[in-house]
Amino acid sequence: MKRTVMTIFSMLAVIAMSVPAFAHFQMVYTPEIALDKGQAVDLSLVFTHPFEAGHTMDMGTPEEFYVLAQRGEEAKSKKTDLKEYLKPVTWTSLTNSGQAYEAKLPKKITRSMGDYTFVLKPAPYYEGEEDIYIQQVTKMVMNVGGLPGNWNTPAGLPCEIVPLDKPYANWVGGVFRGVVLSNGKPVPNAELEIEYMNHAPDMKNRKFEKKAAVEAPQDSFVTMGIRTNDRGEFTIGLPKAGWWGVCALGVGPEKTHKGKELSQDAVLWVKAVDMK
Amino acid sequence: MKKVLFALVIVMFAAGSAFAHSPLCDCFDNGDGTVTCEGGFSDGSSASGVKMHVKDSAGKVLIEGKMNEDSEYTFNKPSVDYMVQFDAGEGHSVEVNGKDIVE
Repeated sequence: MKRTVMTIFSMLAVIAMSVPAFAHFQMVYTPEIALDKGQAVDLSLVFTHPFEAGHTMDMGTPEEFYVLAQRGEEAKSKKTDLKEYLKPVTWTSLTNSGQAYEAKLPKKITRSMGDYTFVLKPAPYYEGEEDIYIQQVTKMVMNVGGLPGNWNTPAGLPCEIVPLDKPYANWVGGVFRGVVLSNGKPVPNAELEIEYMNHAPDMKNRKFEKKAAVEAPQDSFVTMGIRTNDRGEFTIGLPKAGWWGVCALGVGPEKTHKGKELSQDAVLWVKAVDMK
Repeated sequence: MKKVLFALVIVMFAAGSAFAHSPLCDCFDNGDGTVTCEGGFSDGSSASGVKMHVKDSAGKVLIEGKMNEDSEYTFNKPSVDYMVQFDAGEGHSVEVNGKDIVE
């Protein structure tokens, strides 16, 4: 009997330890998303576990990568395909290295004032440990010159997180709110994972910094699990400067890929800035 | 009475919006002898119809026009030193020095 209890206990321990390793986040990263002036912008696309800067997964050729630029809230949004700027690179995490992408965008794309909603629809990633595919449809919103545009307009994706607060204008200590949509409709009780980007990305050397910004007292703090309310809305606190990733798990309409289960997730990145 | 109230509401509305947003304007040299300015307001409202003045260093108006429906204004680049004024009324003016206008 004792042995059975021990076996169950150790099994549970293994499960508990392996849970944070499953919190995947597709990053669409650039250091600054509240720019005074339009300028050339460099982006790094990395599929990883941002709190631990752990295992970085090999990305396939993205299905879609574009930006929706909009100057003024009543103005029309302009779509620019960015696939031609994608370049495969090797990104080094603290434990391995994997295929990622980078994109060096010329100034002509991000010259004007307004919002720039970057959209990445990556190739489904096969997660062998779970025998499923994962596809994280990711948005990152940048602003030039303080002139707002499409930051809270749905991009018309199969699944997405629509901000209720500007993702690029958040003080530390504030909150960030959003709505989870699947095929344009709010998803009540959606399962969300929240992670802090704990190791600063070093774009030049294509790696994460070894130094962690914070330490999690327990596994529940590495990937924080929350739910949307009955209107599909959520609120998170922003207690520390830097990047916060929000991922809504399996909310997309596509449920299978190549005969296997597909988790089509929606990811949004939010940046908080110290009040000083 | 109704008229007074109405007038008050208008004044409050106008005053409110005056403090709630700031004017924004940025200009680019198109490299073909023309300059395009883009404007807007920090609350996301359109700058369509906003008056644009292009002046020389003495303040003399060289070119005048208005922001179009896309909140843009294009003019022929003057051969002398110049500045551009985005003029959305008192307290709502932005000046851009021609020297800062690049491609």
